[in-house]
Amino acid sequence: MQKHSDETLVAYLDGELDGAERQHVEAWLAADDAARDRLTGLAQSADLLRSAYGDIVNEPVPERLIAAARGETASEAQPRAAEILVLRRPQRSTMTMPGGRWGIGIAAAAALFGLVVGGTGSYLASGLLSSGNPAAEQRLAAAAANNTWLDNAAGYYKLVVSAGDALTIDVAADADSREALQKASLPQTRWPDLKPWGLNFRGARLVVVEGRPAAQLVYTTENKAIGPLTLVIGASKQSDIQPTFDHRQDVNLLYWRHQGRAYALVGQTDIGYLWGIANDVAWQLDAI
Amino acid sequence: MSLRWKEAEAPVRAADRADPVSQRFSDQLIAVLPRLRRFARGLTGSATEADDLVQAACERALAREHQFQEGTRFDSWMFRIVQTVWIDQLRAREVRKEDSDVPEERLGSDAPVRTIEARLALAEVRRAVQFLPPDQRTTLMLVTVEGLSYKEAADVVGVPVGTIMSRLARARIALHQHLETGGASRRSVKNAEAQ
Repeated sequence: MQKHSDETLVAYLDGELDGAERQHVEAWLAADDAARDRLTGLAQSADLLRSAYGDIVNEPVPERLIAAARGETASEAQPRAAEILVLRRPQRSTMTMPGGRWGIGIAAAAALFGLVVGGTGSYLASGLLSSGNPAAEQRLAAAAANNTWLDNAAGYYKLVVSAGDALTIDVAADADSREALQKASLPQTRWPDLKPWGLNFRGARLVVVEGRPAAQLVYTTENKAIGPLTLVIGASKQSDIQPTFDHRQDVNLLYWRHQGRAYALVGQTDIGYLWGIANDVAWQLDAI
Repeated sequence: MSLRWKEAEAPVRAADRADPVSQRFSDQLIAVLPRLRRFARGLTGSATEADDLVQAACERALAREHQFQEGTRFDSWMFRIVQTVWIDQLRAREVRKEDSDVPEERLGSDAPVRTIEARLALAEVRRAVQFLPPDQRTTLMLVTVEGLSYKEAADVVGVPVGTIMSRLARARIALHQHLETGGASRRSVKNAEAQ
């Protein structure tokens, strides 16, 4: 009898009883204090169970699982150094300008970015792999950490695309950005306004990159050719680097580090477009 | 435009993938990965084992992509694969009882900041789950954590709804009793829920 009663109580809590059964249980609960207490206890433990497993879905998904979901072997999933290329400064005369503010943006960014020494040279090139070289080993370690960071940024982008309208936004677009960014350990950072690019700020997600809190800003557009874009901003202890292009998990990334912040602009649009937006972001945030 | 990269190093775009069906399938799979990891964590009690399990499930799913029926729930299909792979692994290892007594917990550096007390309460809950028999653990995770209906959980596990109902009741009562007697204090529970 007790077993049957417990099954009924649990099914009642789970909304699995039909109308007549529900009425029967409610009448029973109204008349039986012990049953009510038991129901309360079962409800509390169920809530606690959901809390105990709630955060796991917010953890970054390991690269090996994303690679497995894409049918890649681990070796295929390894980022290739040759794909990490330093960009040259864009020529002002050939850049498409989507809005009036861009004129200011490109001018500021052109002054700020400078021409990268080494041109098409790889970030990972020049002596990095020579053995017995402490500086090279240090750079190799930094590059490995960087790869994980970028893998996470790309993975989070893929989740945004896959989730679509069902995406869970932690901080609404109209929320106080300072408070939200402080939670992500990013005080004194603002939401970049990308409306001149046809991109609407949908909100931010507080994510974890390399074990540290970070903010993933989500921008959407009606233009399917551009698709959503995300900007991941996280704290970094590594040295500054110039804007650098990478491509992994079928998405393009433009990333840079500046004064203790790591930035990754992620999207499926072409790199030229990303480059223009990155300039604008950098100008707005004074990040470069 | 001065943005250039060497032709040989030009990135391959998503649209260049030969098989658009596989691309869509992979996208669905990637979208459900966080929930698969959670489900697997509940089954194995270990972050590492859970990810190994999910990876094995992904590989099996891709090999059986043709068996997925469009219009049915993809997440349920994947839960079934995870559960099946897990059962296969349990049988293959002939797991001894004590194996499930020492779950590896990752309260991790990447979890949101919480009070230590609340963390302990939640860890206690996860430990309690590991004391449940595998069939009850599976049912509990599917229904109470993942939110499947009894019918959906029955389809995943391949048993009648009545079996789900009884397994779930036993699991919920065992969990409740564990927490009442040896587990988290009321205060800890309150703190954990408030986070």
